[in-house]
Amino acid sequence: MYEANIRKPLVTGGKTISDVTNDICRPIENKPTPMWWLGFTISFLLLMVFVGTIGWTTWEGIGVWGVNKTVMWGWDITNFVFWVGIGHAGTLISAILLLFRQKWRMSINRSAEAMTIFAVICAAMFPLFHMGRVWLGYWPLPLPNAYGSLWVNFNSPLLWDVFAISTYFSVSLLFWYLGLIPDIATVRDRATTKARKFWYGFFAMGWNGSARNWHRYEVVALILAGVSTPLVLSVHTIVSMDFATSVIPGWHTTIFPPYFVAGAIFSGFGMVLTLLVIARSVLRLQDYITVEHLEAMTKVVMLTGSMVGLAYLTEFFIAFYSGVEYEQYAFRNRAFGPYWWAYWTMMSCNLLAPQVFWFKWARTTPWFIFIMSIIVNIGMWFERFVIIVTSLHRDYLPSSWVMYSATWVEVGIFLGTMGLFFTAFFLFSKFLPVVNMSEVKSILKSRE
Amino acid sequence: MGNSNQYWKGLEEIEGTLASPQGEFGEALPLDEVFSGSDTLSPNRRDFLKYFGFSVSAVALAACNKAPVKYAIPYVEKPENVTPGVPLYYATNCGVYGEGFPILAKVREGRPIKLDGNDQSILSKGGLSAIGQASILSLYDTHRLSNPVVKGAETENWADVDKAVTSALTSANDKGIKLVTRNVSSKLMQQAIDEFKGKYSNTEHIVFDPISYDGMLRANSSSFGKAVIPNYHFDKADVVVSFGADFLGTWVSPTRFSADYAAKRKVSSENSEMSRHYQIESLMSLTGTNADYRYPMSESKHGALLANLLRELGGAVSAPAMDLPGNSLKKIASDLKAARGKSIVISGSNDANVQTIVNAINSLLGNYGSTIDLNSSLNIAAGSDAGVDKLVADLKAGSAGAVVFVGVNPVYHHKDGAALAEGLKKIPTVISTSMVLDETTQYAGYVCPDNHFLESWDVFEPMAGYYTFSQPVISNVFNTRQAALSLRAWAGAELAGEQPAMDMAKALVEGMGANWNQCIHDGYYQSATASSEAPSFSGDVSAAVSALGKSADGPELVLYQKVGVLDGTWSLNPWCHELPDPVTKVSYDNYVTVAMGDAEEVFNLKNGDFVKVTTANGEIDKLPVLIQPGQARGTVGIALGYGRSLANMEDNDLVELGKNAYHLVGRKNGSASYVVGGVSLEKVGKGYEFAQTQTHWSIEGRDTVREATLAEYKANPKVRNEHKPHIVSLWDEYDYSKGHHWGMAIDLNACTGCGSCVVSCSIENNVPVVGRDEIRRRREMHWIRIDRYYSFNLTESAEINGTAHEKGEGLTKEKEINAYTKSGKYDHYENVSVMHVPVMCQHCDHAPCETVCPVLATTHSSEGLNQMTYNRCIGTKYCGNNCPYKVRRFNWFRYNLNSKFNYHFNSELGRMVLNPDVTVRSRGVMEKCSFCVQNIQMAKLQAKRENRTMKDGDVTTACQKACPTNAIVFGDRNDPNSRISKLFRDDRAYKMLEETDVQPSVVYMTQIRNKETETSANTSHS
Repeated sequence: MYEANIRKPLVTGGKTISDVTNDICRPIENKPTPMWWLGFTISFLLLMVFVGTIGWTTWEGIGVWGVNKTVMWGWDITNFVFWVGIGHAGTLISAILLLFRQKWRMSINRSAEAMTIFAVICAAMFPLFHMGRVWLGYWPLPLPNAYGSLWVNFNSPLLWDVFAISTYFSVSLLFWYLGLIPDIATVRDRATTKARKFWYGFFAMGWNGSARNWHRYEVVALILAGVSTPLVLSVHTIVSMDFATSVIPGWHTTIFPPYFVAGAIFSGFGMVLTLLVIARSVLRLQDYITVEHLEAMTKVVMLTGSMVGLAYLTEFFIAFYSGVEYEQYAFRNRAFGPYWWAYWTMMSCNLLAPQVFWFKWARTTPWFIFIMSIIVNIGMWFERFVIIVTSLHRDYLPSSWVMYSATWVEVGIFLGTMGLFFTAFFLFSKFLPVVNMSEVKSILKSRE
Repeated sequence: MGNSNQYWKGLEEIEGTLASPQGEFGEALPLDEVFSGSDTLSPNRRDFLKYFGFSVSAVALAACNKAPVKYAIPYVEKPENVTPGVPLYYATNCGVYGEGFPILAKVREGRPIKLDGNDQSILSKGGLSAIGQASILSLYDTHRLSNPVVKGAETENWADVDKAVTSALTSANDKGIKLVTRNVSSKLMQQAIDEFKGKYSNTEHIVFDPISYDGMLRANSSSFGKAVIPNYHFDKADVVVSFGADFLGTWVSPTRFSADYAAKRKVSSENSEMSRHYQIESLMSLTGTNADYRYPMSESKHGALLANLLRELGGAVSAPAMDLPGNSLKKIASDLKAARGKSIVISGSNDANVQTIVNAINSLLGNYGSTIDLNSSLNIAAGSDAGVDKLVADLKAGSAGAVVFVGVNPVYHHKDGAALAEGLKKIPTVISTSMVLDETTQYAGYVCPDNHFLESWDVFEPMAGYYTFSQPVISNVFNTRQAALSLRAWAGAELAGEQPAMDMAKALVEGMGANWNQCIHDGYYQSATASSEAPSFSGDVSAAVSALGKSADGPELVLYQKVGVLDGTWSLNPWCHELPDPVTKVSYDNYVTVAMGDAEEVFNLKNGDFVKVTTANGEIDKLPVLIQPGQARGTVGIALGYGRSLANMEDNDLVELGKNAYHLVGRKNGSASYVVGGVSLEKVGKGYEFAQTQTHWSIEGRDTVREATLAEYKANPKVRNEHKPHIVSLWDEYDYSKGHHWGMAIDLNACTGCGSCVVSCSIENNVPVVGRDEIRRRREMHWIRIDRYYSFNLTESAEINGTAHEKGEGLTKEKEINAYTKSGKYDHYENVSVMHVPVMCQHCDHAPCETVCPVLATTHSSEGLNQMTYNRCIGTKYCGNNCPYKVRRFNWFRYNLNSKFNYHFNSELGRMVLNPDVTVRSRGVMEKCSFCVQNIQMAKLQAKRENRTMKDGDVTTACQKACPTNAIVFGDRNDPNSRISKLFRDDRAYKMLEETDVQPSVVYMTQIRNKETETSANTSHS
């Protein structure tokens, strides 16, 4: 095979094909490390916090949250949009970068896709449990029923959400699982115990590595990539319409779809960076997830960060230019009202902070990237908080203006979804190959 | 079923020869065999599974069936006129006002569930105040005594009680018996008292009014020889000048005064004249918020100012010269002079000297006989403060053999309550007829609980010559007896017959020569029209002026009543406290109101600081401070009626609610004085969070409330409504060409902001009470709220944040107000004008809530209603977010089955008040105003049954019915002649947030103030 000398190798350390298999299978085939146990225990405890706080909410009522007659969505929908946004990087990496033949994605797409799935699960918790009557949570599904013409409201953006999120989740899951099959088969083939052989064999679905297998694998991957690509744009577009189609000043904005998509990719890459900087050191995968990868992602972060920054400024200008006093007030109130701190946190984390990635050092220093990724995550959480809470808390009639602050239950639920996310991620890193072995093998420079 | 055709699937079926129906369950379960126990049952594997499946599911089903079985039993003998599901209305009286207030009680299946004013009576005119509405809950009050209590032991037998009481009274007669009642407007009670006095010769009858009108009674006695409260006709007054009298909220007879006042305030194309209302007051009262001109001024200066006004009007009186800002007293005087005989000057003072000057002014203006009527006087108060003070002194000294408290609670209401309580311990026999173990009754050896007013017969004379009648609308809930009957029993009268009180009432009515059935049906009877002859004034004004006395140094304390709580007698009622105060919008507390300037410059206090209040009369150790715009500097206000405590309180927010301030009431010129000089405030803490339903005061210059002056209106009836937004709609319009199209109109000129509608709506629609903490979290459930906005008027031109503002201009933007305050100016905080705007669901045609519900739980009806289907709601709350008016309310908790909300929703007895026509919402669903859809349905069915089309006025909403001023009109917009259609076409009509094109079905009528100045608040248009 021809190798271009001007391209730097995507996998460093002079890895051979068998090295790849050994390195990636090591965490699966050995006992977990103390670091893994520590991380898993903390995550699991947080997951229990989630179970507890969600249980209390369901038992007692949404009243245990801080939401009120004016701000009826608070942390719940903030977290929902936050988590959905995070998922987007996975789909972008696996689908769009696949279509663009960006081979550097190969060693990170697996974990990014896993992140997508877990993030969407976390996200789905919020629209579900923010319902007053969660036990009727299946009613937004267009199910045939015995009540005659009782049907769902296709005008409602929440219904679009239901379709968008469920489509997104199923396609992402399918895509992820498809990519896993050859690797699961590898683990199956190396299995030393009966149980491993059975379970990995079960999920490998009879993969035998034949040319026909590979051919179908490639075709389906391409089809799914084609299906996923519009989802990258559509899901957050539709989520943004929850706000854009409303009448609330600060929500009622046509810029929302592209702005939300950019924000989603921004936050998603932020989260991928957070995870990979940890994972590559904990799982000793520095040769597969190289600084090159991190650098490429920081560039995406900088680009999308600037895009959302531009959106923030555009919103402000349009509010002024519209001449609508409610709109003007909503934006003045964001920046200089009682929630000014949330707004300026958002501005500094999302618009200003990523500008450091103009510097090479910042793009190539993993610990610094980690800090920056956390800042991006915080900034994007605040973006959603700013959009939701500061728009609602002072809308049309000043008589209903209120302040909103979360209760410990809401904080607990948010931390709890972190627990859910990381518990799932730790289990994933223990039981499944975190790097796509079969694909990475195709981009090795040295082939002995 | 309409279709009589039968179709058969085959011949076998029609002939019945089919061996077994085809299909899934081709074989019947062998139940007979199983239950007969026959041996023929030889189960094979399939049968075993079948039996197994059957028994498992049967057991499971049986185990699931835990739902309590409730039987609905039909009447064996159906009472006359009682049809389940159809309400009955009875004319009776509301007992909140001791004098009797004609109402209609709505009764469903034997349960009274709603009170409304009796619209045919001139005393009610259809309205009923918030506390009157709420008083129905006191019928189903779990605090009520269920039996008489003798020496701490409950007993069921009234005969035993009577025997014990009679012997105790007989032995006490030598030492003297004190019989303490409220003002006796009840004829039954008067008769009982007379009989009681006949039996116990050494009885002294003392009238104790919780709120004293002693000064006014004495002034009228000296001025006209009549110790009465005159009747005021605000509907005949072109100019009203009130010196601290809250006649729309708490003074004398506020509900009817509101109706009369509003009749003179409504302007239309036919009648563009309205009265002019001046209010000079210290605190910001509900009445003050409605005034055209309002002048904040310390209460103690009112007397001198009145004397100056008298002089301006031509009265011969010498007093140190005084004026209002901008020489306004001259303007008032000239307005009064121009409206001779068509004006009213009143004062809320309880000082006989002040009232004498008022009398002189009204006399000079010739108002007696036209707007003020001393002949048809109001029988609302007759207590003499001197008499009450003597009683308390006697009781403190223990110099009485027995004391009988009938419907009074002086331990709570009297300034020396604590000392009185000590004295009561020395009295051998203390008898009380209180319904609850209140502060006084706790010291009574004999507690003989009175009936609730809805369980009683009675005849009242609330106005001279005008009688109102009470009939019971439910049989006694508890083992209680009407107090008048108790007195008679102790007087030795034979209480024969099933309903001795009815016999008494009947005899009285027949004695008047009236028709008993007619009287009970109507609820009122006017014996003879009193003469309108004006008595001549014979008061000594000079003496009164010179006896006014000087005000004490230091800030003065004004003790006032709140609209929802009044004197506190009926305030142990969650609805009274859940209702936010119309002015401060605070629920559940009393507090010290302070003017902004004083808080900053004199006391150094912030909103929510705790203070210790010290006066010469006593002190209150801890109360939070509320900075009140509009309050005169140099005054602090504390509401009476708080700090109630019963011996057996339910554990909820009514326990230890606020502080009792009655012990701070002073004495001046022989009468109770609610103004106490020389008060000092000492900061003892900070950080109290008030439960306020509205925390933002200003309208931010928005166009959502509109106000203009009368001159502007006359020049252009469309004033403030000239600009219509240019709207392009993406939605299809609804077709309302057939059937009804409901709409509502709210006249901001008539709305006084009293809050009756809020309570009425809560009762009609089973709105839960959520308590103080939930209101702090901004989760009140009221379906209708009254927005209150201040405009801070500049008394001099100023430059604020770089913009020039003229003198007289109103600041409505928070930033400007605060910036101006920061510059050390506080005048704008005193000179505020206020608007009240009732807001409920606007039933938008393009409702933003409807489009966003994922499950179609909120939809549009063909009659223009925005409907809520509770059963379908899953609680996403998106509709609530997307409502521009923020009128949607979410059930955050399961209010009816959650002990944290320990109010009537959580007690078997309290639930009796629920309206069976309206669902009690479960937790997790959204709710909101339905335009009282149950009443619309009821009216439709009624019309259908009577085979007619509906006519205007058939449907009334709860808020509309309760409104004393008829500010709310509801009706069918498709009927071109209906009142609502006319109001929709009126020039003053505007829709709130019209520019959002949500197309609300509610119109507001621009508020018009009878002011001369051209500038007024909220004139901004963009």
